Amino acid sequence: MDSAVETFGLTKSYGSVKALDNLSVKVRKGEILVLLGPNGSGKSTLLLLLSTVLKPTAGTATVMGHDIVKQPLKVRETLGISFQEARGFWRHKPYHILAFHAAVYGLRGKERSEVVDRTLKDFDLWPSRNKRFMELSGGQAKRLEVAKLFVHRPEVALFDEPTAMVDLDGKRMIWDRIRNLREQGATVIVATNEVREAEYLADRISIMKEGKDVVTEDLRTLKDSITGGDVVEVGMSPAITSGALKVISEVPGTVRVTQATEDTLNVFVNKSEDWLPQMMASVQSLGVRITSIRVSEPSLDDVFLHYTGKEVANARA
Amino acid sequence: MRELLTLLGYELKETFDSIPWTVYFWFFFGFQYFVYGQLVSRLVGSNLPNYYVYYGTGLLIIMTFNVASWSGRRFVEGAHEGRLRYILSLPIRRGELFLEQLMLGFIANIVRIGPPLILVLWLNGMPPIVLLTSLAVLLSMSVGVMGIMISLSFVAFKSFDIYSAIVASMSAILLRFSTILYPLSFMPNAYSSVARFNPLTYGADLLRNVMNVDVSQLLNPGSSAFIVAAVGVSTLTLGMAIVPRTLEGVKST
Repeated sequence: MDSAVETFGLTKSYGSVKALDNLSVKVRKGEILVLLGPNGSGKSTLLLLLSTVLKPTAGTATVMGHDIVKQPLKVRETLGISFQEARGFWRHKPYHILAFHAAVYGLRGKERSEVVDRTLKDFDLWPSRNKRFMELSGGQAKRLEVAKLFVHRPEVALFDEPTAMVDLDGKRMIWDRIRNLREQGATVIVATNEVREAEYLADRISIMKEGKDVVTEDLRTLKDSITGGDVVEVGMSPAITSGALKVISEVPGTVRVTQATEDTLNVFVNKSEDWLPQMMASVQSLGVRITSIRVSEPSLDDVFLHYTGKEVANARA
Repeated sequence: MRELLTLLGYELKETFDSIPWTVYFWFFFGFQYFVYGQLVSRLVGSNLPNYYVYYGTGLLIIMTFNVASWSGRRFVEGAHEGRLRYILSLPIRRGELFLEQLMLGFIANIVRIGPPLILVLWLNGMPPIVLLTSLAVLLSMSVGVMGIMISLSFVAFKSFDIYSAIVASMSAILLRFSTILYPLSFMPNAYSSVARFNPLTYGADLLRNVMNVDVSQLLNPGSSAFIVAAVGVSTLTLGMAIVPRTLEGVKST
């Protein structure tokens, strides 16, 4: 069993609206899979189905080999979910919230106290441990929501927008903790709208749109999948000649060439690292001197735009 | 079972976290019973002898209704606020969760209603066995009330404000068009006809039967017990069937 999580035609409908549409994905053991997609693309629904909070309309999924429809209790014993909105027992304090969570997962006595204390400190919640949940700031409440999963350290950890409402330092801290969880052997699925979060965390990224998995690949492969995605800006001296334009256009990886200024070309190329040496050699063989060269690869924003037709910033709206 | 008890303890801790609220609850009962109860008994006068005891039992039913109503609404609020979603993600069987919620409602009722009930029984010289039978009646009634509140949860996922308004209106009607404060024989015909369709009427009369309060004015205890039990089972079953829909609805909003 290489897959920690596998979905088989997983579908969730609300009336005529399909929140998740015949989704079939595999999440490898010990990887961090980031679900990236516009609001309403089905990311949260997928996490709620995997955690057995919701029941699928059709299809099923397995979590560490346990079927979410037939063995929901086994699934819930195996995984943990950190919800998008940190809402809980308003009158309880962080210490009691984590202690309860630990107790439900079988931790008792001194071991539980130690784990809870350590987790509160790890998530910078120690000074707030005696505040009521309703008195916590949005960022503190969110950190507490994420911290629950570090109390019982499930085999499969699901995070729904783990750093929403968290400040920059807090984000970095949560990301490091999640990576650490993976390093200790957990399989992690993160749903997010934040490109930076996806880039920082993901072993693979699944771009979702309208309840479907559009593409699931590692970041490098996603960037390389955009035709002419790398842009090579080449400066020449003397001015650009038709010969130089011709030889660059004939390099196999080149998709198109545009003249930016009198002595600069923008070359749109696939996998620039494979074709750059040949491109430079061809230009230099014409006696043209290359004065500057700058390579920029597509960002994850570009990848997102390419696959969803939306920019990430607009997709959040 | 260990998970069930852990969750029950956790929820009880939150429920009774506010001691002043519980004390206020008892104080409110005491004030109504000793001050308003005395006044209204004098107003009723010889039309209904021993009305003070009748009023005391009515007050117990009103408070049971309020606590059970709170338990049911708390469950629906939990679904709306995301608390229930968290509990559903924990390794606790759904049946155990249902049982835990029922136990939570019962315990909340016993803690809040128990002392006033003991007070009424003691002041009126009733034997200790009546404590058990009357508590059984009040808890049976509370199951029905919780069931009604949960059954109405389908409204909550459209609008929690509308849900609150409906619950408040319905509570006002149920409490007033019943025998909680006046016996059927005392009511105008139109009023009593409506009250006969109200399950609280049967609960109130059943309680007074087991407490032996002016039995001549009350409905048959057998049929009252049957109706209280039937309402409890049916509304709770309906509520449990609707809860999954509530969750799905809350998700989609």
